[in-house]
Amino acid sequence: MIRPTSLRDLVLIRLGVAVNLVIGQIVAALLLPVYLDSVGTILVAALVGPRAAITVGLVSQVLNAVISGNFSWLPFALVQVVIALYAAAAARLGLFRRFATAVPAGIGMGLLAASCSAPISYFLFGGVTAGGVTVVTTVLRALGAPLGVAVASASFATDLLDKAIACALVSVVLRSLPGTLAARFPALAR
Amino acid sequence: MTALVVLERVTFTYAGAVRPALADVSLEIAAGDVMAVTGESGAGTSTLLLVATGFAPRVVGGTLAGTRRIAARRCGVVFARPWTQLTGLCSTVRDEVAFGPASLGLPRAAVLAAARNAMETLHIEQLAGREPSHLSGGELQRVVVAAALAMRPDVLALDDPAAELDPEAADALYDVLPVVAAAGTGVLLATPDSERAGRVATRAVALASGRIVAEGSPAEVLTDTEVARIARAAGCPPPYPWDVPSLLRRVER
Amino acid sequence: MIGYVDGTSPLHRAHPYTTLALSGALLFGAFALTRPLEVGLLVLTAVLFAATGRVLRSSAQTALLLSLPIWILLFVLHGLLGAEPRMAFGPVALSVPGIARALVLGGRVTAIVLGFLTALATVSPHRLVEAMTADGVPFGRTFLLASTLTVLPRMRERATQILEAQQCRGLRLGGSIVARLRALGPLALPLVLGALAEVDEQVLALDARGAAGSARRTALDPPPDSRAQHALRWALLALVAAAYAWKFWRMRG
Repeated sequence: MIRPTSLRDLVLIRLGVAVNLVIGQIVAALLLPVYLDSVGTILVAALVGPRAAITVGLVSQVLNAVISGNFSWLPFALVQVVIALYAAAAARLGLFRRFATAVPAGIGMGLLAASCSAPISYFLFGGVTAGGVTVVTTVLRALGAPLGVAVASASFATDLLDKAIACALVSVVLRSLPGTLAARFPALAR
Repeated sequence: MTALVVLERVTFTYAGAVRPALADVSLEIAAGDVMAVTGESGAGTSTLLLVATGFAPRVVGGTLAGTRRIAARRCGVVFARPWTQLTGLCSTVRDEVAFGPASLGLPRAAVLAAARNAMETLHIEQLAGREPSHLSGGELQRVVVAAALAMRPDVLALDDPAAELDPEAADALYDVLPVVAAAGTGVLLATPDSERAGRVATRAVALASGRIVAEGSPAEVLTDTEVARIARAAGCPPPYPWDVPSLLRRVER
Repeated sequence: MIGYVDGTSPLHRAHPYTTLALSGALLFGAFALTRPLEVGLLVLTAVLFAATGRVLRSSAQTALLLSLPIWILLFVLHGLLGAEPRMAFGPVALSVPGIARALVLGGRVTAIVLGFLTALATVSPHRLVEAMTADGVPFGRTFLLASTLTVLPRMRERATQILEAQQCRGLRLGGSIVARLRALGPLALPLVLGALAEVDEQVLALDARGAAGSARRTALDPPPDSRAQHALRWALLALVAAAYAWKFWRMRG
């Protein structure tokens, strides 16, 4: 699966991974309640295509684990694959061209991502992963919700917001690309 | 002298661009040349370098019209910002410089010899064991040039290579170019720094809006501007400054 | 402490694949073990692994720090809120199966994190790249593994610069959530567009140095491997497979 065709794809994948990992710094400075850790994946899906985007997602998860020392990110690589495929399809349909379509596309992506990440965190970790999602899970559980439901609702709430913002941001980036730069990405013209 | 690159009435247009970046350009580059390419920003100097070395349109896309013959087996390229040109794979300067020959699959001894030679040419042997990310911009740019030279390119294109360097580092970098050319490489140098270019170049072309507007010896070409004419009329000794900042620098001195 | 620590321990000297195989066996083995006692043994193995790499103190500290919140949440989620039967434990009644579950899940996490941190601390990225190169791993994979890590510091630095520059120009980071969302554009856009604008230069620099070539890259310092290590890696694979076979056999039985 990790067999990009050209140096250009490789460099763009590296860029996507860097965006995934660094944008969190800006989000943290703004104290926004999201991660936006798939902006690079979505961007590369729109600029290059699904295969490169999947690679961005997988490499990002591995590096995230390497940098934080926290392996529990790794199984969520599966979610990144789903995000990459969905984003490439959304880009193909031209959903990132306008804000009005990018945000609903992001909400759809959030639903899909949460449907994938909730079972992972339920089955592998009994609903426990690092981060804010777990706190929501615990609160819901304490309020009497069954574990499965608690994990799912927590994942959905964060993922919807996260992916809607990420898609909106990618849409803004794509529309801000100078013409000659945009022309270098045939996937955009489709 | 054998021509390494021949361009005949070449026109090049970037994808998505309305007008061509190069129009009707004819040029020959031979072994031993140090050709200065001058022009204002947007004149097409960077594009000329990429077209002459075969990287455009092969790597950067676009369409080429006219005749281009490249006899050079390998072409090297150096840009202004050193950090964009690192592989990011190498933890020492030696490895960074050896990256090119290692890609060719040469035996280990040959790879290390090529790297050593290139580092000697740039006088950076003492940096061999250092980590590239810990170097200054000037040191790093010398590493980048050494890395390009280690490939033994027939043509070496440098696009404003001293833009990010301090004056001493810039002088040191330009001084290497005649040495490189003497070893049989054709050097193409795009730069707005006509003073330094005039010191090392054997030939020069000036571009405006993608067309060659002057071609010849550095003293001829780098003088073919309003500023240079004024400087000449004022009795300034050659090489003549060809734009206002270099004239001011000359006057200050 | 997360990341490589220079050293001369057996894990440092081993072929990078061997150390990685050991931590991989811990990771995959962990999910094959389902009883508190088994997981206890797993944690012990991870401790031995870290001690062999002489990084036990720093790795264990970080591992505990990273898994502490998980332990607390597991305790609340399963111990306090878990199923019957319950056992009085001071003022609270703890769920017996819940505590067993928490011990298994928590022990697993701790063992894996400890193994992972030990591998990170004892496998030098440079040696890993060399091992992969000598092994004939395609350039793209080594590039994505190593090069991505080295561009991060520069990207982070740029993000910081943009944050400072935009604040200087009057951008406010605080305010309502809508205001903060609006601020995201001016901060993220220059970062991403700036990086995209550098792509062509990076590609050209790599291409000119033969990165796209088909030759098998020469490894400059390939780490030594041995038959014993080779055998050990296969044995680990067999061990993990056996653990899963046992787990599924038990589930059926």
